[in-house]
Amino acid sequence: MAIDFFWRIPTHGEPSSHRSRTPYRGDWPPGDNAQRKPGLAGGGADGFSYVEYLTQIAQAAEISGFQGGLIPSFPMTDEPWVISAFLARDTKTFRFMIPFQPGFLSPVTAARMTASLQRATGGRALYNVIPGGGGPQQLWWGDPVAHDDRYGRTTEFLDVLRGIWKGGPFTYRGRFYQIEDAGLPFPLTEEEYPEIYFSGSSDAALASASKHADFYLSWLEPFDQLRDKFDRVKQRTAALGRKIKCAVRVDVVARPTEEEAWDEVRTGFDRIDKATLERFNSRGGSESVGAARQSRNRPATVTSYKDLIIEPNVWSGFGLLRGGQTNGIVGSYDQVAQRLDQLVELGADAFILASTPHLEEAYRVGEEVLPLVRGHVTTPALRAVG
Amino acid sequence: MSTEFIWQLPTSGDGRYGNAKKQRRGERASSAHPYSEGVTDPRGRAFNYFDYLHQVARAADLAGFDGIRIPEDPLGDEPWIVAGYVAQASRRLKLLTEFEASRGSSVYAAKNAVTFQRYTQERFAWQISVGPSAAQRAALGDSVEDADLLARIEEFVTVARGVIGSSPSPFSFKGRFFEVANGGFQGPLANHKAPEVYLSGESEEALRLSARFADIHVFDAAPAEDLARRVGTLRSFAAQAGRTIGVGLRVDVVARESEKEAVFDARRFAEQSSSQWAGRDVPVGKNLWEGLSKDSAGAAATLVGSYQQVAQALLEYAAAGTQSFLLSAVPHFEESYRLGEFVLPLIRSQDTHRRVA
Repeated sequence: MAIDFFWRIPTHGEPSSHRSRTPYRGDWPPGDNAQRKPGLAGGGADGFSYVEYLTQIAQAAEISGFQGGLIPSFPMTDEPWVISAFLARDTKTFRFMIPFQPGFLSPVTAARMTASLQRATGGRALYNVIPGGGGPQQLWWGDPVAHDDRYGRTTEFLDVLRGIWKGGPFTYRGRFYQIEDAGLPFPLTEEEYPEIYFSGSSDAALASASKHADFYLSWLEPFDQLRDKFDRVKQRTAALGRKIKCAVRVDVVARPTEEEAWDEVRTGFDRIDKATLERFNSRGGSESVGAARQSRNRPATVTSYKDLIIEPNVWSGFGLLRGGQTNGIVGSYDQVAQRLDQLVELGADAFILASTPHLEEAYRVGEEVLPLVRGHVTTPALRAVG
Repeated sequence: MSTEFIWQLPTSGDGRYGNAKKQRRGERASSAHPYSEGVTDPRGRAFNYFDYLHQVARAADLAGFDGIRIPEDPLGDEPWIVAGYVAQASRRLKLLTEFEASRGSSVYAAKNAVTFQRYTQERFAWQISVGPSAAQRAALGDSVEDADLLARIEEFVTVARGVIGSSPSPFSFKGRFFEVANGGFQGPLANHKAPEVYLSGESEEALRLSARFADIHVFDAAPAEDLARRVGTLRSFAAQAGRTIGVGLRVDVVARESEKEAVFDARRFAEQSSSQWAGRDVPVGKNLWEGLSKDSAGAAATLVGSYQQVAQALLEYAAAGTQSFLLSAVPHFEESYRLGEFVLPLIRSQDTHRRVA
């Protein structure tokens, strides 16, 4: 099968380059809880809001050949269902990858929202299901269910969603959900069931993913480690008689030459303040298994950007530059494409790429890198007709 | 507050006078060619009902309404998605979005609301309803008892307002239905206006909850003197709670140039839309017909009359205390223009409640 490329919508705001956190597009420079900048110019009230910039990025991504984009959802970001509905009419092919945790919505509400969003967009909605990051933060969201229970709940949630999707009547008696004679109304029933990208690295997550996911989504980890993980997911899923594909969420810095790419990273790293670096060196505290897996292969104390090169063209410091997941690919256009192809060889069928600034980089990566990726096509002749 | 006129988005389909059958404009119900084979149809599947809803919202804005209500109809599209979809079509409209407290985490709902506030310059508002019968709630996966519905709404709003208004100190709450620890929004999500809360219901419990809690209490359509009595009760409860509350009225309209035309259209619509309605075309109040459009536009009663008569009736409701008119008429697109052109100007020229902008 051919490889799908998604982009990311920077709901977390964005600096205008990897080199520096200012000037800042959108309205929330990290650490600044007071500042609010409705648009880009000047920071005064100008009738625009951040969604106008996000719309530009979504349009850049669809014009540049991406399937769509992940719309990350964190405590400090805007809410992805709203963003998707707002962007529906301003985009043509852009697919909205909505992350959500089952604790946020009842499954019936989620089903109706999804079917309506499919109707509003011509079938462009898909999910990134996140069973839960965990810790005290889960109660910040108003969700009292414990970490390991969340996977059981996720499975039930998706059972119900699937059960009512075509109209029912569907009855279900689970631990978390009890439902009688439910079903979506016509014509909501006519929509395609959304593709599901599933995140979560713990064993409980893998068990849940095996039942319902189309794609198992991982952050970039050291390549060998990722190969093992994908193999494990595929074996588990095969044991259930299903097939699952794998996807990688990864930042890239791609430039005409490798030197230019590393220059960009070095400049950004050298401008990080000391406190940020210290926090990075002593990170911990989440229940997330994925976060722990990413930080393997890293020296205990980091003093140069070079300390964070964990294998060729893989840099483990993106979390320092912009927050969030931390491993990314750095190199020339050719090198980035080659590394992506290596990920295809070890089991990836889809990617969610990101780079800062997301607007200009959507064009760059779409124009310079995607054409160099071979995917599963191995011979030039086949490539020409495929 | 000044008087507001809120139009309605027909989220589960619209009809028309002369053919009351509910349909989704722009949407093919089946794959069959909609016309005779001798006539081309250039639309194919390029459109669906969302395109029509988008037009209605735009029409309400152009016709001078102050807001649009996006009702929760279990047979229709989901109101929050519809609200986001039509938000960009409107510049001024308040987006009054109806839902039930069973929909999920109230923190998540609050977060959703803040994003709406950010993207619409604070035009988002909530109408929270108790929802359908216990049997129908079971089909929503909702097992809450009838007696707890209002209590759940109260907790839902308490938590939502708590996390929206928490900055800078965190908000925690542990109730029977909702729980949050150290909640609250920061950065660009901080310091936004909580959505105005519209509640409804005719019971004493519902009135008391609104009196303590709601920004607007929405009454079902009834003769003006009945409404005045209920408004009095609501206000006395609010006074006991040490607050004031806005009064809303949900009423449908059939307004025509003459009363005769209006009555003709109303009768024909009734005959076409409801077999049970025959013989009930006896007004329960001046120009007020009960149940005429309950199954279509949704209000308990409908004002049927000339433009002047309908405007006069609305003014009487205003005199009885109504500040927020939740209006609708079938078909919602054409009728938004009609009301905007012929009825709203008559009221606005006389309504002393309305602040002159």
